[in-house]
Order: sequence, then structure tokens, then C-alpha cells
Amino acid sequence: MTLPTGTSGTVVPSSDGAAEPHPAPAAHERDSASVRWLIFVRDRGIFVLWILLLLLFSVWAAPYFAQVKNAILIANAASLTAIFAAGVAVGIICGVLDLSIPGVAALASCVCGLLLHHHQPVWMGLLLGLLIGVVVGLVNGLISLRGFNPIIVTIGTLSITSAVAAIIAGGYTIPGLTQLKFMGTRRYDGVPAPVWIAAALFVILTVFLTQTREGIRLMAVGGNAEAVRRSGIHSNRYKVVGFVISSFCAALAGLVTTALVTEASPAASPGVIFTALTAVALAGVSLGGGRGSLPRVAVGALVLATISNGLTIKGIDPYWGTGVTGVLLLGSLSLERWISMTVSNRLIATAQASVHTGTR
Amino acid sequence: MAHPAVPALELHGVDMHYGYVRALDAVDFHVQPGEVVALVGDNGAGKSTLLKIMSGALRPTAGTIRVHGQEVHFHSPTDSTRAGIQMVYQDLALVDAQDIATNLAIGREILRKGPLGWLGFVDKKAQRKRSQGELDRLGVRSPAMTRPVEMLSGGQRQVVALARSASRVTGETNGVLLLDEPTAALGYEQTKQVEALIARMARQGIASVLVTHNLPLVIEVASRIVVLNRGRKVADVATAQTDNDQLVGWITGARPSMFPTSPI
Repeated sequence: MTLPTGTSGTVVPSSDGAAEPHPAPAAHERDSASVRWLIFVRDRGIFVLWILLLLLFSVWAAPYFAQVKNAILIANAASLTAIFAAGVAVGIICGVLDLSIPGVAALASCVCGLLLHHHQPVWMGLLLGLLIGVVVGLVNGLISLRGFNPIIVTIGTLSITSAVAAIIAGGYTIPGLTQLKFMGTRRYDGVPAPVWIAAALFVILTVFLTQTREGIRLMAVGGNAEAVRRSGIHSNRYKVVGFVISSFCAALAGLVTTALVTEASPAASPGVIFTALTAVALAGVSLGGGRGSLPRVAVGALVLATISNGLTIKGIDPYWGTGVTGVLLLGSLSLERWISMTVSNRLIATAQASVHTGTR
Repeated sequence: MAHPAVPALELHGVDMHYGYVRALDAVDFHVQPGEVVALVGDNGAGKSTLLKIMSGALRPTAGTIRVHGQEVHFHSPTDSTRAGIQMVYQDLALVDAQDIATNLAIGREILRKGPLGWLGFVDKKAQRKRSQGELDRLGVRSPAMTRPVEMLSGGQRQVVALARSASRVTGETNGVLLLDEPTAALGYEQTKQVEALIARMARQGIASVLVTHNLPLVIEVASRIVVLNRGRKVADVATAQTDNDQLVGWITGARPSMFPTSPI
């Protein structure tokens, strides 16, 4: 390579690793123990909270609370919330809040119910139900990409899907869907089917989001779509994927609900969104997008179920449970804010010393 | 002004009109591999317009652009990125919640070998190693690769953003970095850090175009300075042959243009 020369004869040396005048200081910093501990608490705080709750109820609601039977009850109660929450969480992480979830759940459940009612095979009912989730997600995504606000778009599809569900079901619930018991009340190895389904969903989505290229990009799009776009990636496609996953989870949750109660109801209950959102928020998933982890969302759903279960055992009104959840939510918000501030203060204190380039 | 090497990026006779407003008037500009050229001028002198033309965000009304001697037509920033030109953005370049390694790797992830790779599984260890290598090569001592970017100081963030762009332009041919006010939000210490990094990148053969209002920074890191005044190039001078007062004269228009062929 020739040596390029500036107009004044300023010689600019060419790149040559060996001729580098200031060899790279190759000290690889590690974070201090206290910082790592704080980050650990921030990332795993919900686990600590849950364990505390378990200990509290084990003592307070002894001897009925701390039993395997009760643990399975809690897991079963949490699973439905968890499946909805998985959809909401993936949506929010990717930067889209999908409000059409209850409608998609109702539509999927009614389509599946109608097919089973007309003696179609079970697999066809389930497949079409899930397919409806994917299609509604695609529609949501493609409309939102045209520059419309996702919240308004999904409110629109919420109305449409719940209307279609009511129309095809004729406004009544479709009863007697006992063919679906295998994924409703049946137990495998002592654990109810919905728990297995929720567990499988969470494992798959967690691996997808943290280990695969597409998942990592999906999270990055939620955090800063512009940065991803400038890396030459079509960030919009990943938003559509976020909508699709969100709707798919909703359809799955609708089918599991149908299987549990053995009837398909066309009534879309917006309440599921708020329960799911509570679990998601407890898990520390930022509504701004880009951050959050699914195992924490699962624990968030478990925390909700644990509280209502423990209070029920003690014979306390369930209203208390709702109130306690609210307090926990606000408490966890404050804790996270405090930890983030402490961490950044500490890091700024050490930043001056640790990033020196050796050319001071 | 004979140059022995082919310029990494060369603009010839670039005009840019916005309606009746002439933002750029027959501007010639070039940057050699390994050279840091500062582009200075008052607000509205046309610096940003010129930078946007180089990055492909704007198409000039007239004029030619050559990259490593080859004429190109940029229709979008993607085209210029493909040609090895990277714009370094202040705040928009990083994904806060992700760690340094992921930020450096996004868009060019390393997949695992074997069936897991076909499913799109990322080899995080290899990515961390490559990211560390890239930062080491730039002489950046950074925090742990697993540190989320949101936990970095402003200077560290800017260093990572620069390294991210730099690692994208050092392919088989050395590319061009476009820097828009790289030190605007930084303190003294952090500014020094970024200055040192720009100088090291230049030593590795990366061509840099630096747009800033910060004259001390210009004099510190630039090897050549181009001054724009009301859309015209009024000075193109080696840093060693000029000083602060001269530059201020050109910027404000108090000092006559070096290129009298273009009458004012």
C-alpha cells in the first residue's frame, strides 16, 4: 500500500498492525463484584420476590400451602396467564403493543369449536385456530407498517375478530368440546397439560429470543429500530414477526382455554390483557421495548397465581390479592429505578479510570 | 495538488439546489485512505448537505461521486454503506439494552457451525471474541463485552459507536467514515479518547470526514481542513499550514477565498 500524503506533506502511515505506534492495551476489564450483584438483582429480582412470597405463604398458610399438590395448582392457574403474557411480552419487547389478543383468542377458539362441532378432526381444528392467530398477526403487522399506530390498528382488529367470532358462533358458546380434554384437564406425569404447553412455549421463545440471530434482531428492533435499520437490516419485517408471535400466543391461549372449559365462547374478555400486562410489568419488561426476558415473565405469572392461591387458602377475599399485586408492581418499579441509578452512578465513578486509551 | 493514491472518496463539481436555494455550488472534495479531513463552516454553509450527499441520504443536483476511483450513484444510505461508507451517528447507532458484543455484531452475526447454525443459532462466544479483537485492534480499552450499552458513559458509548462503524468499513478495501459532531455531547476526557481513536483509525488506513464546529478538535485530529462558506469551498488546506485565526476568517467570510476562480 502506498503512503498517501496530504497537501502539506503530512505523512499518513498506512495500516500495518506491526507498525502501530501505540500498541493496543489489551486489558479486558471485568465489572466489580458489587456492580455484578446489582445487575443480578435487577435481572433476577422477580425470582427473589417469588421465593420470598413462597416462604411467606409456606409459614403463614401452613400446612396446606407448601405441598406438591398445591404447587401444581398454582402452576396450572398461572399457565393460561403465562401463555397470554408470553404473547404480550414478545410484542412489547419488539416494540408493539398488541391489543387484539382477546379477540384473536376468542376467534381461534370459536373456529376450532365450530369445526369440532361439525365433527372435523381435532388436528384440523387446532391447526386452523393457530393459523388464524398467524394471519391476524400478519394483518396487524402489515397495516401497522403503513405508518398507522399499532394500538389503534390492534383495537380495530380486536373489534373485527371478536365480531367474527360472535358471528360464526351465532352469539352463543359452543359446548361439549370434550375432544380437547387431552390439552385441557388431562395430566401427564401428574402435571396438567396447560402447564406443559406453557413450559414448552416459554422454552422455545426464550431460546429464540436469546440464542438465534432473528430473535436477537427482534429484540434489537424493539430497542432501537433506527440503529438496526442502519445496519442494513429490514427492521420492519421483525416488527411483523413480533405481531405474528403475539397473535399466535393469543390463539394458543384461546385454544387452551377452550380445552379447559370444554366450550368455545365468542366473548372476548379484555381482562386477559391486563392480567398479562401485570405479569409482564412485574417481570420488569420495559414498555419502551427492547428489553425483558421470558423466564421472568413466567415467574411474573407465577407470582400472580401464588398470591391468589395463598390468600384463598387463608380464606381472604380475592380483592386483597388484586391490591397486593398492585403494591408489588409499584414496589418493583421503584426497586428497579433505584438499582439502575446506583449501577450507573457506580459505573460512572469507575469509567474515568477504566477506559483510558493509554494516550493520556 | 497531486495525489499519489486514488482517493477513497471523491466528489467533483457537486451542486445541490433546494428550489431556488443553492446549498452547494460546484464543490470539489476528496479524502485519501488514512486521511482525516475536517469539514468546517458556519451554520448553513452546506456542511451537513455535503455530508448527506456522501452518505447517500441526498442526491446532488449535479456532480459526480467516486469511491476508490469508481463512479457511483447513491440512491439511498444502503448504497453508500455497500460501497464502504459509514456514517457515525451520535445517539442512534446503538441498541441500549444489548451488550457491546451484540451491538458490534448486529447485521453480521456469526452463526454456530452445524445444524444449530442452520436454525439461526448465534455463536455468542465467537462474537465476543471478534468484538474484543476489533476493539483491541483499534486500541480501545473497553469494559466487559457483556456489559449492556446503556451502562456505558457517554465517551464509552461514542467509542463503541465509532468502533462499530469502523469495523464495518474495514473490509478488503479501507472504507470511509463520516463523523458528524462526534464529540458534541462529551466532556474533556472523553473527547480526548475519541480524538485518539479517530487518529488510530486513520493510521489503519480508514479515511474519515469530520464535520464539527469544534476548531480545537479539528486542529488536533484533522490532517487537512476544508472550509465551506455559503455553499462554496473557500479553503482546502493542510492543518499544519493554517491556524485558528485563518480558519475563523474563512468561516466567517472575512478572509478571501483560496479559490479566486469562483467569484463571490
